[in-house]
Amino acid sequence: MGIHDIIEGKKQWRAHMARVKALPPDYQIVYKEMQRYFFKVGPVALADGSLLTGVVDFFEEGVAAGKGVLELIGNDVAAFSDDLIKDSPTYADIYQERISTKPGTAEE
Amino acid sequence: MDDLTEMLKGTLEGCVLEIIGSEETYGYAITRRLNELGFADVVEGTVYTILLRLEKKGLVQVTKRPSGLGPPRKFYALNDAGRQELATFWAKWEYITSRLGKLKEGGR
Amino acid sequence: MNFWETITGNDLTREWKAFEARAGALPADHRAAWDEIKGHLFLYGDFTGRNLMPILDGALGLLEETATDGQSIHEVLGDDIAGFCAALAGGEGARSFRDRWREQLNRNVARKLGRLGG
Repeated sequence: MGIHDIIEGKKQWRAHMARVKALPPDYQIVYKEMQRYFFKVGPVALADGSLLTGVVDFFEEGVAAGKGVLELIGNDVAAFSDDLIKDSPTYADIYQERISTKPGTAEE
Repeated sequence: MDDLTEMLKGTLEGCVLEIIGSEETYGYAITRRLNELGFADVVEGTVYTILLRLEKKGLVQVTKRPSGLGPPRKFYALNDAGRQELATFWAKWEYITSRLGKLKEGGR
Repeated sequence: MNFWETITGNDLTREWKAFEARAGALPADHRAAWDEIKGHLFLYGDFTGRNLMPILDGALGLLEETATDGQSIHEVLGDDIAGFCAALAGGEGARSFRDRWREQLNRNVARKLGRLGG
C-alpha cells in the first residue's frame, strides 16, 4: 500500500539504495534530497517505483558521461523534480477530490 | 539569447519530437542538438523529463542498446502516434506564428 | 463517525497496527512528531480512513527516512506541524508549503554540495 511499500519491498529497495550508494557524492546528495521532496509531495507515481529507479538510471548515465550532477540536470533541482511528476496526481489531490465529490459520506 | 526558458517551455516537447523524428537518437545527442541550435540553457535533465513524458504518452518507441562505456542507452524513435503528434505540433506552431505575425503588423 | 471508529471498525485496523509498529521503531522525537501529525490529520473531519492512509504512509516514510539519516525533526518539519499536515492533506496552504519544500530542496542541495567543496 503506497509509498512505504517500495521501502519495505526490502530486497528491491536495498538493491536500489546500493545503486544510489555507488554514485559519486554529488549525485548521492541530489538524489537523497529529491527523494525526500517526493516523499513530502506524495506523487502517486512514487508507488510503482519507476520514478526513483528511472532517476538512478539517468544519473548512472550522467556519471558514465563524466558529468557533474548539476551539469546534468541544471541548478534548479526542484524544477527538475517537479517536471518529473508533472503528470502524476498526488495522494493529497486524490484525497481532496474524494472529499469534495462525496461530502460527508463514508466509504463502503 | 538568455532566459528563453519560460517561452520555450511549451515548444520544447515539439522540438524533441522533431529531432527524434529525423532519426532514432538518445537523450544526450538530443540535448547537444538543442544546444547547437542556440538553446544553450537546455540541460540533459530537461530532455530526460520530456522523453519520459513522450514515453508515457505512447508517442515513441524505446530501444535499449549497450553503450561503449557505462549503462545501456535508451534510443528513441517516433511511432505512428508520435508522427501524428509532431504534425499537430507544427500545425499549432504555424497557427501561432501567423497570428503573432498579424498582431505585430497591425500594431503600428 | 470519527476517524478512530472508522479505523478500528474495519479492515484498516491491520494497516493501522502496522503503522504503529513502524512508529514504535522511531527515535523519541520523531515518534512524538508522528503523534502530533496524527492528531492534526484527524482534524480533517469527514474522511474515511482509507483515503488518508497513503498520506499518513508518506508522512511516516518521511520520518523513518530522516531518522535513518540522522536529521532532526526540526530540520525536517520546521516549526509549523499543523501547516505541514494541511499541506500533506492538500488543504489550505498546500501550495505555499509546496513552494517551501521546493526552496528547501534547492537550498539543501546547494548547502551540501558546497560542503563537498567544488
